[in-house]
Amino acid sequence: MPPDPSTAAPPRPPPSAALPAGVSLDELRASLLLRARARLSALPDAEVADLLSEAVFLERRRFADARGGLSPEDEDERRAVERASRAVHQSRREQEAALLALVDDYVGQIHNRFSPRTYRFATTVLPGGLSRLLQAGELRGLVGGAHDPLQRIRIEGDLPRLQRLVRSHTLMLTPTHLSNLDSPLIGYALYAAGLPPFIYGAGLNLFSNPLMAFFMSRLGAYTVDRRKRHQLYKDTLKDYSTESVLRGRHSLFFPGGTRARSGEVEQGVKKGLLGTGLIAWQEALRIERAGGPKARDVLVVPCTLTYAMVLEAETLIEDALKESGQRRYIISDDAFSEPRTIATFAQQILALDASVIVCFGDPVDLFGNPVDEAGRSLGHAGEPIDPRAYVCDAEGVVQEDPQRDRVYTAALSRALVHAWSRDNTAMETHLAAFAAYRLLCLRTPRRSTWERMFLSEEERTLPRSALLAAIGALRDRLDALVLAGKLRAALPEGPKRDAETLSLALDRFGRFHREACLSAVGADGVRVAPKLALYYSNRLAHYGLQDVALDVPAAPRPLVESA
Amino acid sequence: MNVAILGSGQWGRSLAMLTAEAGHQPMMGYRGDPPRGFQGSPNLAALCREVELVIVAVPAHEVRGLLEVARPGPQNRVVLATRGLEPETGRWLSQVVLDETSCLRVGALAGPAIASEISARRPSAMVAASAFDEVAALTQKALHSPICRIYTSNDLVGVEMAGALVRVLAVAVGVADALQLGVGVQAVVVTRGLAEGRRLGKALGAAEGTFSGLSGVGELVAAGKHPEHPGTSVGKRLAAHGGADEGIAREAAALLTLAKRYKVNLPLTEAVGAIAAGKIKPRLAIDMLMRREATSE
Repeated sequence: MPPDPSTAAPPRPPPSAALPAGVSLDELRASLLLRARARLSALPDAEVADLLSEAVFLERRRFADARGGLSPEDEDERRAVERASRAVHQSRREQEAALLALVDDYVGQIHNRFSPRTYRFATTVLPGGLSRLLQAGELRGLVGGAHDPLQRIRIEGDLPRLQRLVRSHTLMLTPTHLSNLDSPLIGYALYAAGLPPFIYGAGLNLFSNPLMAFFMSRLGAYTVDRRKRHQLYKDTLKDYSTESVLRGRHSLFFPGGTRARSGEVEQGVKKGLLGTGLIAWQEALRIERAGGPKARDVLVVPCTLTYAMVLEAETLIEDALKESGQRRYIISDDAFSEPRTIATFAQQILALDASVIVCFGDPVDLFGNPVDEAGRSLGHAGEPIDPRAYVCDAEGVVQEDPQRDRVYTAALSRALVHAWSRDNTAMETHLAAFAAYRLLCLRTPRRSTWERMFLSEEERTLPRSALLAAIGALRDRLDALVLAGKLRAALPEGPKRDAETLSLALDRFGRFHREACLSAVGADGVRVAPKLALYYSNRLAHYGLQDVALDVPAAPRPLVESA
Repeated sequence: MNVAILGSGQWGRSLAMLTAEAGHQPMMGYRGDPPRGFQGSPNLAALCREVELVIVAVPAHEVRGLLEVARPGPQNRVVLATRGLEPETGRWLSQVVLDETSCLRVGALAGPAIASEISARRPSAMVAASAFDEVAALTQKALHSPICRIYTSNDLVGVEMAGALVRVLAVAVGVADALQLGVGVQAVVVTRGLAEGRRLGKALGAAEGTFSGLSGVGELVAAGKHPEHPGTSVGKRLAAHGGADEGIAREAAALLTLAKRYKVNLPLTEAVGAIAAGKIKPRLAIDMLMRREATSE
């Protein structure tokens, strides 16, 4: 693939005019309470009572299940919930008041306090500081004293177009989600791409470090407490996002909801926050029709993050293999909870070329249609279309229909999934892991995935020649996918890539994880760690590579199949 | 309400009649001579700009070409009154609408309504399905009248799948009829066809009851009883004179590809596909079906 002219844009200050103005908490609180009040007043009595009962029940259960006791903040929340619980058996009026009091608390917890001063400080001082930190110690020898490791993060996509659109449109950036490092990575990528800060929802666990919390909230992060699972909180969160988009603030969220446990490019999205763009845009259209300012169109920018290695790979794949994996949103004991581990990982991965790629995809409108240079929606033949016709009647009046909007959001989510897959880059680690895991599957066809995780050392040691042949066959398919526009790139580029792929993968895998995903055994063997191989191979799970015919390597000894 | 009906054949004219019966203004989009008794225009794109609801009533292989000309847009709701898959690509017709146009609000109309019976003002019923409630409701409003009941459904996948499978299964009904195998075999085709529809529907994420409704069993029963049903006619022709039917063979092949992907067994569809491709004599196909391994229902 020829070099992308838009790749690795040098860091530059963002257009200061596009910095979002900090919104005062009082102003936001008033708006969100108004929304909550309107929603509650439209509900029948029974549903208002249910909403309160659910909030009280689920919150009480959360407090009861809290390991290690309640923090002072949790204790405050517990008292607030107990106050609200008194209204459960009272009149509708009391119940509404109790719900609004909870919403009032939640707004304060969620709200970010974006500070242009902090942003300027962070973007001018921190990258240099971070670079120096990353060059400390053993890394200095690897990358050379003057080299900036952050420059090794490849930023791809049509950045000039995004820089233009960010001035005329409200953008919603929707990245794939693999690691807790995604948030700071995207923050840096936005800065390096010459884009202003976006507000984004960050899990409460990311705020556990006070210094980190200070910066995150002032750099655009608002707090998402995933422990709160009741509808009232989710509605408040959605209202917060809607209000932000309506005010023209560029926002970022991970539509997958949580880190992809299996390592694959997400194939589905949670539509709650994604749908807030359409809600906000329709509100803006109504305001415009009532004589207000012209509605600012909203565009959605898919973004694909690709890492050669993922910090939390071991914990994530363990979780994916457990039945309850999908419901375990907060992992508090993974690699990300150890600051030294993060630093080591960051040093390791940034010492490598092309090991982290942030690809800003082509923007689409709220219905998944492509847009032109000026952000106008395009039909399938490339003709300009008026997206307002999707939601307005012939007179241009917005027709309210939440069910319709949910189906539109599903169409948008399909467009995002398609874009993520198309903008993905197959790295050496992914290809080598895919080839190795596929060979293990072919060698043990009767084993279940779970059984395959516990193969003996002999069973999971592959002949190097077989692995190289498999890499070659799979690479041909990947190259065809790149040519067909179904995959962005397959690394490394250039000739003699099969041996280089394997040696690079062995080198990279040997740098960080407790047990290397692939490790050389003597001159002719490669030992596979099945869990990590499954995790990294999943990055290429949805490209039809399973159909590529591979030679099955002979087992080193007769296999004893399990009963 | 003005309703555009694209396609001025017998089926299109029947739908126009139902629209008028429901108290709305049908606007027929046609190529060639204007249909007698209805307003219309050969300018399909202009017609689509004037109306909200566009009903497509041309054979499946003509849908893509028609949409390229008509170019319905974001303001339209497109409802396919055409059953089956696109023969050339094996794609669902709703997918063809999404492929070719910027219209997202798509629906399908299916059920045991037969053009000649509608023209004779005999009572009938159909199901209007769309992921969008408003599309199903608008179609119901456009066509529901004392001579035709329109039911709504959210299960577009199920209704499209039923429409496609019934076209193929109706061939088996026609074969059984032409070979004079008796009503018992026709009933077997209906019930085992129902089993195939349920299996495939479940795999595709369709609602469980859809194939048992108007678009599935309803239309299959009608196919067995109506001598002019297109699928049944093909079956009778193949049984009587041999030969092949490329369209049915392609549709069966597309369904079997889908079934293979989802690991679903469709023996009746497979047999019809082989008959329609001219690979096997109808009598032998029935014999082979009967000799399959015994199993539970």
